[in-house]
Amino acid sequence: MDNRGPRAGEPVVVAKGVTKTYGRTRALAGVDLEVRAGEVLGLVGHNGAGKSTLMRVLAGLEACDEGAVLVHGKEVSGEAGPRAADFRAVRMAYQETSLCPDLTVAENIWVSSRHCLPRLRWRRAASDAVRRRLDEMFPGHGVSPRDRVEDLSLAQRQMVEITRASLVDRLDLLILDEPTESLGPDAARSLYDYVRTLTAAGTAVLLISHRIREVLSVADRVAVLRDGAVTAERFAEGLGEQDVLELMGAHVAVPSEKERSAARAATDVADRPAVAELRGATAPGLRGVSLRVGAGEVVGLAGLAGQGQQEVLERLWRPVRRDTTVAGTRAYVPGDRQRSGVLPLWSVAENLIVTAMRGLARQGLRRPAEERAAVGDWVERLSIRGGADAGITELSGGNQQKVIVARAFASTAGLVLLDDPFRGVDVHTKTDLYALIRQEAAQGRSVVWYSSENAEMAHCDRVYVFRAGRVVAELVGDEISEERIIAVSFDESDETDGEQSK
Amino acid sequence: MSDLLASALPSRARMRRTAPAVVSAVALAAMLAVCASLQSDVLSVGGLTLVLSATVPLVIAAQAQMALMSVGDIDLGIGNFVGLVTVVSATTLVSSPLVGALTLLGLVAAYALLGALIHLRRVPSLIATLGASFVWLGLGLFILPTPGGSTPEWLATFGSWQPAGFPAPLLPILVVALVVYLLTARSALGVRMRGLGSNPVALQRAGLRPLAARVIAYTVAGALGVVSGLVLASQTGGGDVSSASSYTLMTVAAVILGGGSFFGGSAVPWGVAIGGVTLGLVSVVLSLLDVQSNMQSAVQGVIVLAVLAGRVVVGKVLR
Repeated sequence: MDNRGPRAGEPVVVAKGVTKTYGRTRALAGVDLEVRAGEVLGLVGHNGAGKSTLMRVLAGLEACDEGAVLVHGKEVSGEAGPRAADFRAVRMAYQETSLCPDLTVAENIWVSSRHCLPRLRWRRAASDAVRRRLDEMFPGHGVSPRDRVEDLSLAQRQMVEITRASLVDRLDLLILDEPTESLGPDAARSLYDYVRTLTAAGTAVLLISHRIREVLSVADRVAVLRDGAVTAERFAEGLGEQDVLELMGAHVAVPSEKERSAARAATDVADRPAVAELRGATAPGLRGVSLRVGAGEVVGLAGLAGQGQQEVLERLWRPVRRDTTVAGTRAYVPGDRQRSGVLPLWSVAENLIVTAMRGLARQGLRRPAEERAAVGDWVERLSIRGGADAGITELSGGNQQKVIVARAFASTAGLVLLDDPFRGVDVHTKTDLYALIRQEAAQGRSVVWYSSENAEMAHCDRVYVFRAGRVVAELVGDEISEERIIAVSFDESDETDGEQSK
Repeated sequence: MSDLLASALPSRARMRRTAPAVVSAVALAAMLAVCASLQSDVLSVGGLTLVLSATVPLVIAAQAQMALMSVGDIDLGIGNFVGLVTVVSATTLVSSPLVGALTLLGLVAAYALLGALIHLRRVPSLIATLGASFVWLGLGLFILPTPGGSTPEWLATFGSWQPAGFPAPLLPILVVALVVYLLTARSALGVRMRGLGSNPVALQRAGLRPLAARVIAYTVAGALGVVSGLVLASQTGGGDVSSASSYTLMTVAAVILGGGSFFGGSAVPWGVAIGGVTLGLVSVVLSLLDVQSNMQSAVQGVIVLAVLAGRVVVGKVLR
């Protein structure tokens, strides 16, 4: 049965003018979206466009501020928040998974699908169900229902998560959030085959992915989310990757001509002393990566998320192997500021100066005056709102990010490693931070910058594009453009023989 | 012995998880061997009864501790709570059995309430249970200022029960471990408890209330604490609120020896039984070895550290 064409099924879940505000951030600004029975709706959007918030609202995990969510034409966004019973037939597979690592696969199935399991002997029923569904969705998965989730590989966990979401007696809408992020190509293919059998049976599937080509090949319709609103809805047929990218408004901040020329000038000096070097580094997630970072150079690591960029940063941060040489000290700016960035109980000043403190201290004693001066300087330079004495958690996400970046640059480190630090940061902050990076590079500091936003790479002197743990392209100066990076990172011609050689 | 285990156990991951209990079991066997070499009577039924009986209340209290640690909490009040139960069973339970029984039920309910408060007020369990431990101590001193009283007849009978053929203390240890195993490892309630310790967000997304899971865990812990106190009273024949104050930290050590974790998510009733007996035996071995009593605590600590170090080493090897 061909269920790929546009089809006008009845709407399963409808969002009408949904808004959602967290503090000062407006995550959703009036979303109108309709998911119809038997279709695959692809949802694309840049980081921070509001995808994850919209998902949570559609899955009934969060109430919306204004507007309404309708399931089967019934309004379910009550005053007291969404009720679980209304959303029982709407299931979501999370990108970061929603499994308990200490429980077995079967026990995890009980947690999420207990309504469809018998009260007695549920363990066997859950085991049978999950084994059958896994065989159906991912042949050759290698997962036993008795395995603990913590003992499974990342790909297997993702498989279990998707299976968990699909296991319910009645499934109206299945939301897949970046389902193929950690799956191999075979598993991804069999997943999408299963998605087609689901839609043939009348289930709606909402697919969120930044792999646009994948979305276009699977989805019937594509909705583009931008700044918290759906800005375009198109049939996938006849839609090209470039069209989608344009609809997404794929530009952040175009570097000025002056920066461009500075970058060009930088690349002219080819024989700068190398600050860091990787020579054919091989590790889990890395396959023969060679790269070189010169003094005062901004080196970008680009490509789709999770293709080995973070492993390179990890290598440079802890150069323990022979194949890596790093001269001088390093500072690291983590991307996940909540978990590994801020010290939540400390003030802005303390958070900012903690790395530089040792350099400023004299004979192990801190020098408050110098510290205060340095902090004041950075707070002013990056116009951190709230000032030095505010608690770090009182600041907005963007301002917290400024503090974390300033922490790295306030230190004396010669090499600054950026691990996608500008995710979900507003445009003004980004522009400030880009300028800061260029200034610091001009003063001789080297920066290695991993970013999931290809547009940011335009601020680099040299960009290495990664795929499947390998450098597939090295772009220098004028060659660096978003289109080019996307073209290289999506170019699948040599991926297949890469898989074979593995 | 470890070869036999390796062939019987299915996977490396499973082996890694059972390794702590195996290490404790090896330590246990070693200590029994030392005891037997010093006093050959230890391996007889009567000798084992004598050696094991002191460990029974500790093992049961350790199961209570494990119930809380499986949700990621820790109980610093279990020692005084067990002491309070001995006081109640040596006073009220004798004078008016009904009131006494209701008091004990009330104590279990108090534990459930404590769990609810910890969850709703987001107090760290460490602080809340530490506070509660002073409440238990105060209540115990109020009821029975000096150690004394006498236990009900049925409890005394249980305490002096001497079946032929097997050491009596093994029975409560195994029965309690089995009950806790069925509850925490096999039942849906146990999945809730371990799920809470493992990933509360997942629990919530699935529509299960973390509050309920936590209250269940605290109720289980309270009930096991009461059982532990009754057994202790049956052995000492009286009530003393501070008779079990050393249990608080010993139970934590027993859970860790048995393969539990501070971060929650795992339930290891059989391991805890082994760990608890191992810990309880240490003092027996030390007195048989004529270690000065004022040195015993220090030596006990060193032995616990050695077993824990063994656990770490085995864990590294199996990684």
